[in-house]
Amino acid sequence: MQNSTIVKLALTVAVVAGGVFFFARSTQGSTQHYKMVDQLLATDLSQWKDKELKVHGWVVAGTIKEKVVNQETIRTFVLHKDGKKIRVFSKGPKPDTFKDQSEVVATGRIVPAGQMDPLARGLDVRIEDDMPYVVEATELMAKCPSKYEGADANKNIGSGMAGPEFKGQGK
Amino acid sequence: MNEQPFSPIALVGTISLLVAYIVGAWGIAAGIAGNAKKSRKLVSSSVYALYGFSALIGLASALMIYAFVTHDFSIKYVAHTSDVSMSTWYKVTAFWGGLDGSLLFWVLVLGLFSTVAILTNAKRHRDMIGYVVATILIVQVFFLSLLIFTKNPFGVSLTAAPADGQGLNPLLQNYWMVIHPPSLYIGFVAATIPFAFGIGALASGRLDDLWLGSVRAWMLICFGFLSLGLILGGRWAYEELGWGGYWAWDPVENAGLMPWFTATAFLHSAIIQEQRGMMKRWNLALVCFTFFLTIFGTFMTRSGIVQSVHAFGEDNVLALQFVVFMAAIAIVSIGLIVYRSNKLGSKNEFESFYSREFAFLVNNWILLACAFFVLFATMFPTISESLDGTRVSVGIEFFNRWMTPLGLILLFLAGAAPLLAWRRTTRERLWQQFALPIGLMAGSIVLCLAVFPQTKHLSSMFKQNIQLPVSLINIGIIAFVLGSIGQEFIRGMLVRRKQTGSDPFTSLVGLMLSKRRKYGGYIVHLGVAVMFFGFGGKAYDRMVDRTIEKPAPAAYSGQPANNDKSTFAFGRYTFGYENLIHTSDDSKDAVTAQVSIWMGSELVGRVYPAKWDYHKGEEATTEVAIRVRATEDVYVVLTGYDLDSNLANFRVFINPLISWVWIGFLILALGTLICLIPQSLVDAMSVSRPKSRLGRAGEVGILLLLAAGLMGAVASKAYAQGAAEHVPAGAGMGESGTGWAAMNRPDSSTSERAMKELLCMCGCARESIFDCKCQPAAMSRQKVLDFLKQTDPKSGKPLFDMSTETGREAAYNAVLGDFVAFYGGENVLATPRSKFSWLFPTLAAFGGLGLIFVVGRRWVARGKKSVAEQTAASKNVVEDEAYADKLDDELAKTD
Repeated sequence: MQNSTIVKLALTVAVVAGGVFFFARSTQGSTQHYKMVDQLLATDLSQWKDKELKVHGWVVAGTIKEKVVNQETIRTFVLHKDGKKIRVFSKGPKPDTFKDQSEVVATGRIVPAGQMDPLARGLDVRIEDDMPYVVEATELMAKCPSKYEGADANKNIGSGMAGPEFKGQGK
Repeated sequence: MNEQPFSPIALVGTISLLVAYIVGAWGIAAGIAGNAKKSRKLVSSSVYALYGFSALIGLASALMIYAFVTHDFSIKYVAHTSDVSMSTWYKVTAFWGGLDGSLLFWVLVLGLFSTVAILTNAKRHRDMIGYVVATILIVQVFFLSLLIFTKNPFGVSLTAAPADGQGLNPLLQNYWMVIHPPSLYIGFVAATIPFAFGIGALASGRLDDLWLGSVRAWMLICFGFLSLGLILGGRWAYEELGWGGYWAWDPVENAGLMPWFTATAFLHSAIIQEQRGMMKRWNLALVCFTFFLTIFGTFMTRSGIVQSVHAFGEDNVLALQFVVFMAAIAIVSIGLIVYRSNKLGSKNEFESFYSREFAFLVNNWILLACAFFVLFATMFPTISESLDGTRVSVGIEFFNRWMTPLGLILLFLAGAAPLLAWRRTTRERLWQQFALPIGLMAGSIVLCLAVFPQTKHLSSMFKQNIQLPVSLINIGIIAFVLGSIGQEFIRGMLVRRKQTGSDPFTSLVGLMLSKRRKYGGYIVHLGVAVMFFGFGGKAYDRMVDRTIEKPAPAAYSGQPANNDKSTFAFGRYTFGYENLIHTSDDSKDAVTAQVSIWMGSELVGRVYPAKWDYHKGEEATTEVAIRVRATEDVYVVLTGYDLDSNLANFRVFINPLISWVWIGFLILALGTLICLIPQSLVDAMSVSRPKSRLGRAGEVGILLLLAAGLMGAVASKAYAQGAAEHVPAGAGMGESGTGWAAMNRPDSSTSERAMKELLCMCGCARESIFDCKCQPAAMSRQKVLDFLKQTDPKSGKPLFDMSTETGREAAYNAVLGDFVAFYGGENVLATPRSKFSWLFPTLAAFGGLGLIFVVGRRWVARGKKSVAEQTAASKNVVEDEAYADKLDDELAKTD
């Protein structure tokens, strides 16, 4: 093999390896983890501080509190999965199908509960003592069961979603 | 017990697919054996097999469309993706609205393309055409096998046919969606032809530049349609999804972007091979990789692998078939390139870093890096989940942090490469070429710093801790590219002017027509620079969420008061929430908010953001209201509401400079079209002009008719749906039809004329209030009728004299004027009376092409006439002669 070919090959390998290494390094701090509520609570919550993640669970019936303050809608609710619960705070729009017992993916950060105390007071809610950390969500996504899936599909997520229903009703 | 329905369409359709399968298999065998054994008969047989295959697929596709139009719901695919209430247009587009149909559509488009490609190349490439045909048919048979064995679109229901279908996904019932998927498919499919010729060249050992010439146009078509598909997808997302942006690095978008990068790289390195005999391996690798990425993109979006590995399991059969096919493509391509490696050496070596070929090489590496980056980042969740079971994704910001600097380097190269000479650029030449563009770059940066200090804003690049003033760099590079391209055009024009003696404009157009690839390419670069100007606005977009508890008691007739609780201020605007309207028509429930937008005391306009809930859909769709302004878009979304209390949630985006993205694309499309102008058309232009006045008048008349026809077609598409399909309210639509379509119909020719001219503002695809079936249209019709029946309060006589032509005209104009005043602009009119700004892009594109044709013809004729004069005068043209020589030498081979 000619020297020039070896140099070209070595240069190419070096550039590609360098690029892959740089790519891998740059993903640190930019990745977004996806956790079910029970998976999340099985970890040390302090490790997620200041990291963005998606938390997936079901809304505990009767926990949604919502208020309009200075033309801004603020809300809180509790997400659960297999008996594990975590409180979520969010502002702004919510999905059309967001309601009691709906399946929700909240994107946001884990913050110490004390940080959300002012918001909780504004909503007349007391953060549970066994929840040292809560989720401060920037986006909520709700899973929408098909209207045609009928009762079977809706059994899993509660009576609130049964049957076709006009979207967006209720605050 | 229900009897299985019988559908003759399904039967004939399935038989055509089966026969096509056999014909395709024969074509593959005959093509390979024919070229290997050098048997002309077998090669001819394979070529005819390809034509036959395409005809059979054409028949199957025609049957499928017929089944949609005639509501043959015994065919499952038809029942799943259409219903009787859909317009004929959407019924036709439902053909590719689902997985099964989209695969058939793929085979159809490839059938058409391959027929044209083989018809035009069969004789020219006799010694490799068998391999080319076999490669195309292998791809065809692969997709056909998916259709026949797992996704037969002609599959019939086992039980009785339903009375009505389930309808097309509401999100797809949007005019951009009608053309976006086929554009992407066409882009994907067009990549097959260069791949087939590449494989043919490798298999036959004919590795000279001949194959390149045959595939260049196809790769350009691939590039053009991928660009069109990507931009239309962006426009659709912008209008339909309601998140205020047009690009989110979604896997489906990325699937189209990856082959776009490699196709672009090929279009550049093909020039190097033609000019300098270098980069042969690159070109072959790029055609193979582009094709591989089109298949990979299809696999990625169809198998569900990207969202989750669980989805992969759900469609395991389809995914496995794709994996096997992709592995075969990779093995055959790499194997053949390695096998023919000794024939793929370069004729020349790189001589200098300051050469055009080196700039092209860097360009290719960056484009390839972009493709690989997008590939890995898109697959990141899948890779991470398969490695350690944890689903980890990267967000839009991560993509932007990498792609912005890579994009800026590419943009810089788009301006720098044309300034460099082949082989090496001398120091003097470098200075001469770069002085003006760099001066413009520096000037624009200083100007921005002085006038727009916000451009100093720092953004993260690659890693979070690397921060740069990206907007400033972006503006600087855009100025550099504009300077570079402008300089190239002006210098080229001056040289042509000296050669032909034409006026500057004629010289410029003539230059573009004679060197279409070069100057068309420059226009593409210009379009990309303009698009980057639009992308730059993203750094300054703003968003706000507001919840307004009550609408105003009545529509605002003047600037709302500061303390009015039904309003909110954002940016330079005040938004007044005026009404929440709940309506229902035959296909959907709609909740529409009426919002007026004010800038000081000036009414910018009234907008109607809405949420539509289709009776047959699963989720409500967001109908965004966008007010396009010169410098920014005001984008209003109704994010929630409460019908009991009339509370409404709004999300408003201010998107600066976004229109430049669409304008830049139109310029890019124009450049691509110029590159695609065939030599035969230019030759046709050089035919001497008709000598008689009558002949010339006829020629001009035909040109005008063509232009008018094109303009009319596009304009009419923009403002109306043509003859709407009138479905009597409530008929066959279940119990939800409330009959709005039948209410307040016109009672005179004037009211009918006005209703056809006024557009419904409910958020539909710009239907007139005469055609639209919704409640707002019925209310608007009532308003027209009431307006025309007004009486003079004093005399009690009708205000308009409808018995005379003058009176009817006055009434017509008055009612239009009333609507324009209420809605704050002529956007309520189907054909705006004074403002043609919305037609400007179309006018510019078609007008530009028309002008190029007319002036080009004039130039060619004049050029012929002046050849003798040129020869005589050439001795006098000493100034810039070196540039003229360089221009002609280096471009002689490019067309």
